[in-house]
Amino acid sequence: MSLRNLALRNLSLRSVRLQALRPTRAGFGRLALLSLLAGLAALGPSRAAEPVRIGLVTALSGQSAKSGEAISRGIGLAIDEINAKGGVLGRPLELVARDDEANPSKGVLAARELIQRAGVAALIGGLDTPVSMAIVPIANQMKVPFVGPWAAGTGITRNGAADNYAFRVSAVDALVDEALVAYAVKTYGAKKPGMILVNNAWGESNQQGLVAALKAASLPAAGIEKYEANDVDMVPQLTRLREAGADALFLVGNVGPSAQVVKSLDRMGWSVPVISHWGPAGGRFDELAGPSAAKVHFIQTFTFAGNEAPKAKAVLAALKAKYPAIKSMADVTPAVGIANAYDATHLIALAIAAAGSTEGPKVRDGFYRIATYPGLIKTYEAPFAPGRHDALGPQDYVFTRFQNGEIVAVTQ
Amino acid sequence: MLQPKRHPLRAPAAMPLAILALTAAGLGLVALSQGYTHFVIALVALTVVAGTGLNVLLGLAGLISFGHAGFYALGAYASAILTLSGLSFWLALPAAGLLTALVGALLAVPAMRVKGPYLAMMTIAFGFLVEHGLVEGGALTGGQNGLVITAGPVLFGEALAERGLAILSVLGAGLSLYGFHRLRLARLGRAMRAVRDSEAAAASLGFDPVRVKTAAFAISAGLTGLAGAVLPPLMLFIAPSSFPFSQSILFVLSVVVGGAGTVLGPLCGALVTVLLPELLAGLAEYRLIFFGLTTLVVLWLVPAGIVGTLARLLPRAADARAPRAGDGSALPRREDGEPLVIEGLGISFGGIRAADGVSLTAAAGRVTSLIGPNGAGKTTVLNMVSGFYRPDAGAIRLGRRDLAGASAHAIARAGIARTYQTTRLFGSLSVLDNVALAVAPGSLLRRSTAGDAGHAAALLAFAGYAGPLDRPAAELPHVDRRLVEIARALAGGPKVLLLDEPAAGLTRADTDRIGSLLRRISESGVAVILVEHDMPLVMGTSDHILVMDAGRPIATGAPAEVRRDPAVLRAYLGGAETPARPRAAPWQGPADPVLASHRLRAGYGAAPVLDDLALSVRPGETVALLGANGAGKSTAMRALSGLLRPVQGSIVLADRPVAELPAHAIARLGLALVPEGRQVFPELTVIENIRLGARGRGGRIDPAEIEALLDRFPRLRERAGSRAGLLSGGEQQMLAIARGLMARPRILLLDEPSLGLAPAMINTLYGVVADLRDRGITILIVDQMAALALTVADRGYVLEQGRVVAEGSAAELQADKGLEAAYLGAA
Amino acid sequence: MLTSVLVSGLGLGSMYGLIALGFHITYAVSGTVNFAQGSAVTLGAVLGYWLAVGLGWPMPLAVAGALLGCALLGLVVERILVRPFVERGSDAWLLATVAGGIILDNALLFTFGKEPRSLPSALVASPIEVLGAGIYPLQIVIPVVGIAASLALRAVFRGTDLGRVLLAVAQNADAARLMGIDVRRTVACAFALSGLLAGAAGLLIAPLFSVSAEMGALFGIKAFAVAILGGIGSATGVVLAGLLYGLVEAGVTATLGSTYTQIVVFSVIILALALRPDGLLGRAAVNKV
Repeated sequence: MSLRNLALRNLSLRSVRLQALRPTRAGFGRLALLSLLAGLAALGPSRAAEPVRIGLVTALSGQSAKSGEAISRGIGLAIDEINAKGGVLGRPLELVARDDEANPSKGVLAARELIQRAGVAALIGGLDTPVSMAIVPIANQMKVPFVGPWAAGTGITRNGAADNYAFRVSAVDALVDEALVAYAVKTYGAKKPGMILVNNAWGESNQQGLVAALKAASLPAAGIEKYEANDVDMVPQLTRLREAGADALFLVGNVGPSAQVVKSLDRMGWSVPVISHWGPAGGRFDELAGPSAAKVHFIQTFTFAGNEAPKAKAVLAALKAKYPAIKSMADVTPAVGIANAYDATHLIALAIAAAGSTEGPKVRDGFYRIATYPGLIKTYEAPFAPGRHDALGPQDYVFTRFQNGEIVAVTQ
Repeated sequence: MLQPKRHPLRAPAAMPLAILALTAAGLGLVALSQGYTHFVIALVALTVVAGTGLNVLLGLAGLISFGHAGFYALGAYASAILTLSGLSFWLALPAAGLLTALVGALLAVPAMRVKGPYLAMMTIAFGFLVEHGLVEGGALTGGQNGLVITAGPVLFGEALAERGLAILSVLGAGLSLYGFHRLRLARLGRAMRAVRDSEAAAASLGFDPVRVKTAAFAISAGLTGLAGAVLPPLMLFIAPSSFPFSQSILFVLSVVVGGAGTVLGPLCGALVTVLLPELLAGLAEYRLIFFGLTTLVVLWLVPAGIVGTLARLLPRAADARAPRAGDGSALPRREDGEPLVIEGLGISFGGIRAADGVSLTAAAGRVTSLIGPNGAGKTTVLNMVSGFYRPDAGAIRLGRRDLAGASAHAIARAGIARTYQTTRLFGSLSVLDNVALAVAPGSLLRRSTAGDAGHAAALLAFAGYAGPLDRPAAELPHVDRRLVEIARALAGGPKVLLLDEPAAGLTRADTDRIGSLLRRISESGVAVILVEHDMPLVMGTSDHILVMDAGRPIATGAPAEVRRDPAVLRAYLGGAETPARPRAAPWQGPADPVLASHRLRAGYGAAPVLDDLALSVRPGETVALLGANGAGKSTAMRALSGLLRPVQGSIVLADRPVAELPAHAIARLGLALVPEGRQVFPELTVIENIRLGARGRGGRIDPAEIEALLDRFPRLRERAGSRAGLLSGGEQQMLAIARGLMARPRILLLDEPSLGLAPAMINTLYGVVADLRDRGITILIVDQMAALALTVADRGYVLEQGRVVAEGSAAELQADKGLEAAYLGAA
Repeated sequence: MLTSVLVSGLGLGSMYGLIALGFHITYAVSGTVNFAQGSAVTLGAVLGYWLAVGLGWPMPLAVAGALLGCALLGLVVERILVRPFVERGSDAWLLATVAGGIILDNALLFTFGKEPRSLPSALVASPIEVLGAGIYPLQIVIPVVGIAASLALRAVFRGTDLGRVLLAVAQNADAARLMGIDVRRTVACAFALSGLLAGAAGLLIAPLFSVSAEMGALFGIKAFAVAILGGIGSATGVVLAGLLYGLVEAGVTATLGSTYTQIVVFSVIILALALRPDGLLGRAAVNKV
């Protein structure tokens, strides 16, 4: 059995498993039988409708696993819709997912494997900026489009490569940081904001962005404090910011440590406006951070809650139908993951269709030829062009906060 | 004689050929495949190189490292930074290797001082330190964002892409495997294994453990760094998070799963740790669970590693043996012998003066003995002379050099060799290598030659060793270990030979042979210094004797003078002629045995040590179990008491079958074994030790019972509150017996009670045993000094090769001249 | 500032100490340690959450149930990950427990869920003010429990027959068998106790921070560092080292910033071990030749 067939068998196993999430005894039996059949089928000559494979490299395990799940769901729903309409180029789309464990070198390995062995037509990335930053050079070198549905690191799309294959349907740190600073000034009248940032590539990207944005707004920074992703007590850092006279805080970090920041503020009895990147959206922020969670305003590209657009309602209904595990709004909290990935998948399909081919360079140029796509987040008009690889911009950002387990837009 | 028939796979050329074939296969695979497969092959090959590096540390030097991802990262960053600054990859590669080797050598400095889990932690800390250092490295390392590598290596004007890097990596893997193979057989590699097996013994062969370990760290780190240096052009991107703690664990895993210390182990391990996750990739988020499970299964199935386990399946070579040499053979005579002069030597441990004012001249060509009761400080003097302890007063002169306070390896190189109370052979090295390694004391880089091996074999023959030469020394029986250790001490051509109780645990006959060996050694012009309790050996071989007591010399002179010295008689020899202690009236009692064994078979490996052993002990009787070294006496005690399981056949204790029961259950049924070597609990006090003796019988401990025991052993009363580990050997033996008696046992088993005790102490001890017997306690006693055991026994069994070959009353056995000659030795 | 460093350092430090005591106990009795100790921390918190929030048990009952679960985990680890290797004279238990930790962590990830949750507790409802710093009552309870546990353990080892049995097994397992002591059971008990301590730590930290399937991993590594620094054979040393580690960590974070915490702490570990190769209060074995 060749490596290829082995891979195929594993793929079928995965797609079957997604439908049989509850591991009943009968389910396992069926799963075994189906995977055997699928394996046999893979050996057979039937290759009439060879699927177009889309790769996904994201964290499926570990503390960012929830985001990986959201991205998978967004892609899965989009692929179902596309395949129901006959796929692209007359072939069905198929998702091949790999776990990067939030580790860049694992991500690089997975990306190579998907490109070189599974032969994907395009790659979708995950939540972690460091992983995406590691994959971009590979994608550029191997000429396969890489579309980011989440990681906001500025350098992912603005990577300086002559031949750039990195696209994004998500926020961009540099733009987010400008929006954060503008919001702090406008809403809270901040004069000397401080930063509390996670000590990784994402934090670093935002440090640059925030420093530049503050400079542009000619505001001084009270201080720049970092914490480790695993830290559980941020009182020391926050105490120094308070002593430096910070009148607002910019927060960058995933949901866990973001909650610790809020709790530490509570303990210190320091009531200060917190304007955050979208980390809190990655989980049950209000449960973790307690009542003060609602005071944190954070940026989003999309929310289901309070969204009256027909497209949003339809997608939510379809999601609930496809994934019975989704019962309430709280189960679609990383809505950005779902929405960005959903739109990204449709855009990829459109690009492939425009290219008329699955060859990387042609697909890349296909992205530039997309005219209009009525998406979930907005209606995209010529979303990409050479030198403009980000489909979303500041006009698409909304400020939100947690309310009863749901993310709602801040009404001003 | 030294070239026995080998299995073809064990032939010397087999390994290089296998490596060559594997490298060719790897290259062939590169030629036949493309794209991603190249990448995977390169990763496997680089993991082999890094794993081989770790194998040097773990497999040869026995040092664990959970920080090798740190070296991997340093190599990668060094190469990436250098190439990004414009240096050619081909210069950056060796530079990265050198840099990591240097860092490895630096890490060795603190790492040298710690062992086991402490070393594990220090290396974990090193790995994290590197990772966080890279994060904070600013523009140089690119911080969390890492470095993007734009240009790969160029060879002959062609940029090396994945195919080229795969070829480079495979070649590197082949070279590193071959290098490991050579290193393992070279003196440096053997010295690493020697330091691992016994650091003290390696030092007393002149090997500086600090240098050997530093070399191991540097080589290990350098190889791993070299592997890392190839990563940047292959991955095109490196970041601190590419080298997490889990990568270090994976390296250890790949070496252990493959088989630490084997040449091909890291290859097997790399295949498992790199390819398995690749194959599991389709399982997405479930793959870590499967990876963990697979790892466990492999560990359960092949705990010695895949290669290690396979290698055991290969048939063993027929054993090469040392050439027979008659007892009359001699060492080449050396004329440059010098006397060892000790003057006013003294040392204190925690306020206790362990040796004080010890002066001694050991002339070349003479045997000088150091005797005295247990705890007199004899071994302490040896340890100062051989450099393990630093004396705080006095001088040790060999010729014109004062060696007091010099390190063990420097003293060894000056020409002082030694043996140990409990032998310290390098268990994983063959018998021949143990001796051959000692031929040039301390030399690490010398090529090992056939001449060394020949010389070693001749020395083994001279020492009277007739066993196999290729066996790992750990597998040798006790007598042979003593002989090999003496041959090893002689291999460096020492001027002075120190022997610490070479006859302990040997039969009379074997002891006599040692005596003759020592004479022949001294006649060759070596100054021999002997510490020994066996009086016939001491009196029969010594030219000069120094007697010590409580750290001070109390008498000195020729054997005949010392023997008559009243101070010596009082302190040490006190009735060295053990009196017979027969019962007042012959034993009479019920015929139903308390303890009996029937067709008892037991052993440690394939060959049983006990073979159909049948014996019985009746209530109130004292029975002796006699036999030569290796006849199975101690094994019988371990089997009867349940320490050795499983056994075949039956053991009946007080009408209950106990052959299936573990030791603690048998102890609770009323069998108390006083084990060989006393085995008191060293950190507990004397009283706590005694109280634990009552644990098995349960119930309350009557203070009067302890009082009664302390009355019987007055020396224990004096030391009731002190830690048992601080007691002298004789006191510990008393404590072990008292502890056994607390169980109020149905039967008391005494295993080698007199081992390592001074004559006066032995005498007291046997007085106690006779007293217990007269109080009606049932006793089964094993003693190497058969004649001693028969002084108290009613009856005895003689074992040979695990079987009873004779039995009878003590008087009958004592009278049987044939038995005496064959098993008991002429006393 | 100083108060907050003290409270934060002592709180985290006593947690490290509590988990490290688990390393100490199994090492002292059997010469082995459970490298899945971090996973036991997670299990304690996750079980506590599941029983208290998921099944709605009253908190004391949930705590007891979670501790029992962790003790059982200790037994299982000893039985399948440690004993099979120790009895064959292999050191592979080390990697086996690492693998066990990976399996348990991922199994928890799939059963508990991928996102962190919050374990409610009356002890973190509202901060109280002590010397100008806001402190949750739990932050005072934690060091008290940690130090009490170590004192209790010390008392057991020094003053009771059970303690002497544990010491006897540690010093000479064969001789202990000859005293009628069931060594296997004793070692199993030590692992159960070790798991229980880790679980207790997990339960204590959970309300303060959050419950997640990976919360224990870093605690496990830090606690191992603490155990080693204190001298893994000394209970007092381990607890002292824990407090010291917590204080240094909090102190460095407060003065130099969190970026340098790890660098400083790990450098200190290497240096400290180089200067005291047997840990803070570890006793060197006499170099008998």
